[in-house]
Amino acid sequence: MVTIDLSSLSVREANDALRAAAARGEDIDVINPDARHHIGVGLVHPVTVRVHGSAGYFCAGLSHGARFEVESNVGWGVGDSLYAGTVVVGGNAGAIAGVALRGGEVVVKGNVGSRAGQVMKDGTLLCCGNASFLAGYMMYGGRIIILGDSGERVGEDMSAGAIYVGGRVQSLGSDAKVETPSPDEEADVKAFLARHGIAFDGSFTKVVNAGTKLRYGVSEPIGRPQPHTVFSEGASYWNAKVVEDIRAKSLIGRYRIRGYGASKAVPHFSDIAIKVDPARVGAAGDPLAAVTLATTLGDRFGAAPLRLSMPVMIAPMSYGALSKSTKIALARASRLSDIVENTGEGGMLPEERAEARQLIYQCLSGRLGWNIHDMLKADALEIYISQGAKPGLGGQLMAKKVTRELAAIRGIPEGIDLRSPSRHPDIMGADDLVIKIEEFREATGYAKPISVKMGAGRVRDDIKIAYKDGFDFVQLDGMQGSTGAASTEVLENMGIPTLAALQEALDGLAEIDHKGDMPIVLMGGIKDGVDAVKALALGASAVAMGTAALIAGGCISCMQCHVGNCVVGIATQDPEHEARYKTEVQAQAMHRFFEAVRWQIAALTQALGHTDVRQLSRADLVALTPEAAAITGLPFDPAYRAVHEQLQSQVA
Amino acid sequence: MSACKPFPVDLAADQSGLPHYEPPPCQVACPVGTDVGSYVGLIWQGDLPGALEAITATNPFSSVCGLVCDAPCEPACRRASGDGPVAIRALKRYVMEALGPSFHLPAITPDKTQRVAIIGAGPAGLTAAQDIAAAGYLVDVYDAKNRPGGALAWGIPDFRLPAEIVEQDINRVLERCPGISLHLSAPLGEKVFLDALRADHDAVLLALGANAGRRLGVSGDGLDQVVDGLSFLARINGGERPTLPSHVVIVGGGDVAMDACRAARRLPGVNKVTVVYRRGQEDMPARAHELSAALAEGIEILSHAQPTAIVPRPNGEVELRLRRTEAGPVGADGRRSFREIPESDFGLNAGLIVAAVGQTTLGEELERHGLLAGGRLKADPVTLATPLPRVYAAGDAASGPSTIVQAMAQGHKAAYMILAALEGEEHPAPYHPPYRSRFAPVAQDPEWEKLGREDPRFLGLGDDPWAEAEAGFDAEAARRQAARCYRCDTETGSTDYTVKMREAIFALARPDRDTAAIARRTTERLNARTPAPAQPAPTFDQLVFLPANLTRLVIDPYRESCRTATPLGEGLDLAHPLLVGGLDGAPGPVREAAAAALAASGGAWLGRTRPPQAGLPWIQALAPGDSADASAVLVLALGGPHAPATRPTLARPGQLWGLRATPETAGAVLALAIEARPDLLLVDGCGTLPADWADRAQAPDLGLLPRVIDTLRAHRAEEAFPIVWFGGLRSGSDLAKALALGATAGVVSMAAGLALGGAPADQGLAFPPDLDLQAARQGLEQFLKAAVSEGSMMARCTGKTDIHNLEPEDLRTLSLAAQAVTGLPMAGVRAPA
Repeated sequence: MVTIDLSSLSVREANDALRAAAARGEDIDVINPDARHHIGVGLVHPVTVRVHGSAGYFCAGLSHGARFEVESNVGWGVGDSLYAGTVVVGGNAGAIAGVALRGGEVVVKGNVGSRAGQVMKDGTLLCCGNASFLAGYMMYGGRIIILGDSGERVGEDMSAGAIYVGGRVQSLGSDAKVETPSPDEEADVKAFLARHGIAFDGSFTKVVNAGTKLRYGVSEPIGRPQPHTVFSEGASYWNAKVVEDIRAKSLIGRYRIRGYGASKAVPHFSDIAIKVDPARVGAAGDPLAAVTLATTLGDRFGAAPLRLSMPVMIAPMSYGALSKSTKIALARASRLSDIVENTGEGGMLPEERAEARQLIYQCLSGRLGWNIHDMLKADALEIYISQGAKPGLGGQLMAKKVTRELAAIRGIPEGIDLRSPSRHPDIMGADDLVIKIEEFREATGYAKPISVKMGAGRVRDDIKIAYKDGFDFVQLDGMQGSTGAASTEVLENMGIPTLAALQEALDGLAEIDHKGDMPIVLMGGIKDGVDAVKALALGASAVAMGTAALIAGGCISCMQCHVGNCVVGIATQDPEHEARYKTEVQAQAMHRFFEAVRWQIAALTQALGHTDVRQLSRADLVALTPEAAAITGLPFDPAYRAVHEQLQSQVA
Repeated sequence: MSACKPFPVDLAADQSGLPHYEPPPCQVACPVGTDVGSYVGLIWQGDLPGALEAITATNPFSSVCGLVCDAPCEPACRRASGDGPVAIRALKRYVMEALGPSFHLPAITPDKTQRVAIIGAGPAGLTAAQDIAAAGYLVDVYDAKNRPGGALAWGIPDFRLPAEIVEQDINRVLERCPGISLHLSAPLGEKVFLDALRADHDAVLLALGANAGRRLGVSGDGLDQVVDGLSFLARINGGERPTLPSHVVIVGGGDVAMDACRAARRLPGVNKVTVVYRRGQEDMPARAHELSAALAEGIEILSHAQPTAIVPRPNGEVELRLRRTEAGPVGADGRRSFREIPESDFGLNAGLIVAAVGQTTLGEELERHGLLAGGRLKADPVTLATPLPRVYAAGDAASGPSTIVQAMAQGHKAAYMILAALEGEEHPAPYHPPYRSRFAPVAQDPEWEKLGREDPRFLGLGDDPWAEAEAGFDAEAARRQAARCYRCDTETGSTDYTVKMREAIFALARPDRDTAAIARRTTERLNARTPAPAQPAPTFDQLVFLPANLTRLVIDPYRESCRTATPLGEGLDLAHPLLVGGLDGAPGPVREAAAAALAASGGAWLGRTRPPQAGLPWIQALAPGDSADASAVLVLALGGPHAPATRPTLARPGQLWGLRATPETAGAVLALAIEARPDLLLVDGCGTLPADWADRAQAPDLGLLPRVIDTLRAHRAEEAFPIVWFGGLRSGSDLAKALALGATAGVVSMAAGLALGGAPADQGLAFPPDLDLQAARQGLEQFLKAAVSEGSMMARCTGKTDIHNLEPEDLRTLSLAAQAVTGLPMAGVRAPA
């Protein structure tokens, strides 16, 4: 047995000592806990940890198999994402007790704060006193037992699972209903209580999902998109696309959905020219031998950085939106081209992990598939705040795509219409984010870079928060960034263009005198090495490509990703459709594409007279439109091409 | 070259440089550049004449190709690697069967004096003849046989290609081109001679095909029991149905071998047909389609067997001596090599051996002029010129045995070169098939991703063994198959990932791309400049919202609803900020449907006439000369588009009143409003109320609302009365933008009409006489619901829980023009200039 005294150790030192003792199989006594945060996070050995006093936020979070006994109270997020094991709290628990439980048991002898069991998936959360409002909010499974009163709006938008209330059901949440538990269920609950030595003579009311909001009544008529010329290039105001939209909405009574990003023309990299003579590109020997492309990301705070063979990575895309075969192909292509893959929202596929040499693991609001084991397997962790295609909204995955395998990876029931909250249970603002980052660092021993993924809104201000919160790098996504499904209105009208986002991010960091101090990985409509060079010259540290990679791997840009019947087998979970996708063929195609991108970046850098991609600068660019000039501050030279052609013809 | 060219040889007709069209892989794979995407799309649309035009534009043997083209387009189809290629050939057959027999083109009268002689009336010769005659020249076509068509008529048996189909295509060419004179039974070297032809004609084209079968090249191959494939098939196609020995052996693995074996299978006396091939069955050059038909008809395949000799047997049969082979590595030509296995000889008895091991071109006349080398005509592959001046060669005779569509492509190319010479163009640009698109719309079939490939029904031997062995599609099957097409030729729905961009990315990922190809693509990208778009007046499309992210709290829709209640004054407590107006002239039933929908959704009615629904709040739009109605909740003085509204005379005490400001009257109307404080100000960005569907004609003035707000703010009257926006609202996003710019509510007109089931027409909207009123009502109700929820979604994304909390600071513009008229900063800039 080991005693850890938090009056003389930092939490980081204490957690190191905890892990070391647990690895030896020794039980641990924590004394003078002083309500510190993150006590015991990330513990993955079956030992007993006794906390003699009160613990702060996320006590026992992200652990697996241990037993925690806290004498007094805990702060919010006790047992966060617990995989298995037991947490017993002698006093009260703060908000979101048992948040995102994936299994195990959390027993609170006193009361629990609001949103107990939010987005939990399995296991049992017991509150022996009263619960505050929104208990079981958006839970996907598992069981909450409340011996006292339920609190207001209990079971709000729960998808599955059950809440047993021994006291009064104060009010039901949206889409929740009351049932009488079966004798077996009641006996099961009583057995659980008995096992924890808790006496309770009353009976239970069971709260479950009412199923009124899980599915859309009328499905949207499937329509392949009209060519963009219908609405672009000075088309009339009431063009055929507008008419089609109104007609569709008059049938379904809600917004339309499609895949891909903003489809209308916005200021973009095509409005910027590289000041290079095309004749010089690749003309001076092998550019790959002449230019340094290798890039590291993520060592701002001493973590083991990601090492990219070039400043390019694969944008986060989920298993769920994409088929498993596609995820495997992306991971394989990333390994072949020695860049970085990203899990996206849907959890980590074992095959994806095996194929990718370097993999970023993304944590979203629904904590789908989020667990300590995959955190430890990841090369970097990423907190998703929003994405360029639909900033401010949570994800949705229709039941058709929620297959058994997918549900298992995400830790949710098979075949439900999956909704994710718009914001994290435990991130209301910048301060919460600091503590969340700290929890992840504590759980993984400060070894992994932690990035933030964010869509483009008030980037100038948001980037300052990201900097101050201590992220290793930022993945910044403009409104042209694609998605597997989003409202067309949000796609076209929410967020700012990628080019503007980058400029605002650079300006924001400069305003707090930290220009260049936090790498920005830019994404959202980066299509090849030419776009990449423009982004790098403007100040991005790297770019990420999603759609372009998928196209290289066979996507035909039909924008029907949301339907789930992807004709080429990419955006589907249907086995027949997925069988159309040839993993190795497309992995090789994407690999070739990335190698072409590598050549383009190197050749353009070389033709501009540089030997390192980091020497690219704004001096290498001109703006072709007044908008691009106004955004970037680059010289406005609409005649650039004309001059260049003139020179060429003179030479000829 | 002059501008007046028949299309297939006019390179200026190539459209692949157009910004929104990329020749798709099927079209590029087609030697004559058929606009496959368009014809497939047109079949789905039901426009068969349009499809016929697309099919026949570059293909004079379209009916033939519908049946027997080797269809290189199909393996090139991007769907091939998924669940099978689009059935391109069978779809062509469907169109040609429907319209081919009655399809005639207007005759082109020759208007030139020069003459061209063409030897060979096969696909190459007749294609060239058509192109040259279509340009106005006279053409003499000579053929050795008594029927035109070459390999089509003499090489392919009836059960694959009936004679009347060949006649159909040839007759169409001859009717279209009266300048063509056809001279049959005129073999070169017997009836016609090169020297004479060169003397009489301005150019000569040798397109006499691969006219002789090769011999087996083993001892005994001259025995009577051994014939070559071409002669064998020519006999059958000449109408003979000879009784053959019981066992017929075909040697070879190409299309001639397949035709020969299937023909033999149909002849009297034959019990068994065996195809002997020296490589593996999977290595056969024959089309998989033909091979599977042969197997289905009971043909045996003996692969990995190489003939070594033919030995006569006493019973009149012969023994084909064979040696086993095994597969070797893939050779430089991409084909798998093979090796003979020592001491593996065996024999196969047969009554007849057909050697289908290749064809060659023979002719003493050609030899005499030194035009033959290695069984082919000597011709420059680019110019098709032979060593003899003004003599050209095309088709199988020049390039070796190939396919019908390749032969046609050669015919087009030969015509191009000959026409260039006739017109004095010494250095014509190298020929390529000019790619064109008909820009057919994409099939809107909800099943397009699911529908599987269907092959035409195989009929096999049937009752009449010489009848066609394959059926055509019926209309439903054709439509299903057409719906499967990806339409790689069409522009995408995204200005970002355009069709050109997608193809450029594909090109960077192709297996055969090398550094030079990447460099070329890079140069193209560097040179590509989006043309400066015409700058139309800025619209709502050039505004975007700023989502909450880190600096503002995101609203969780599952937790926090977004309020939409909209108080516009007493009696105007609306459930949401949407009104409907500009329906005064709509058909009565449409007005009723609209009123019912509006009442159900909790909005208000704006119009000169009373809504046909009791209890629905009515804002009376008072045109000059109208008088106020006591039943109106609010009387809105419109004024004229140019004449400022004045304070209206009310119908009852306490009646609410309002003023309408237009882009032209805003100054005067605001002055009055600031002084008189109406109950409501309607800002009409189009200046067109109360016309029917009043915002249909033009986009609204995006700057009007900010100007109005600025003026009111300057007079501290910003909150004095609710402002209702009219003009160009198409969605909840537009509504949210109007609210963010300062409006309290918005009026929809054209959008409401479309939701009610109206179709855009010259004068506003047209409603079908049998309009389903229930559906119309539901349509508007659903649209209003959708628009309000979209507006709420926009508000939520910006971090607001009440739609009326949207503010200008939630917006950015996407252009400097929009920045100038709204005063809002453009996204990415520090502050408006």
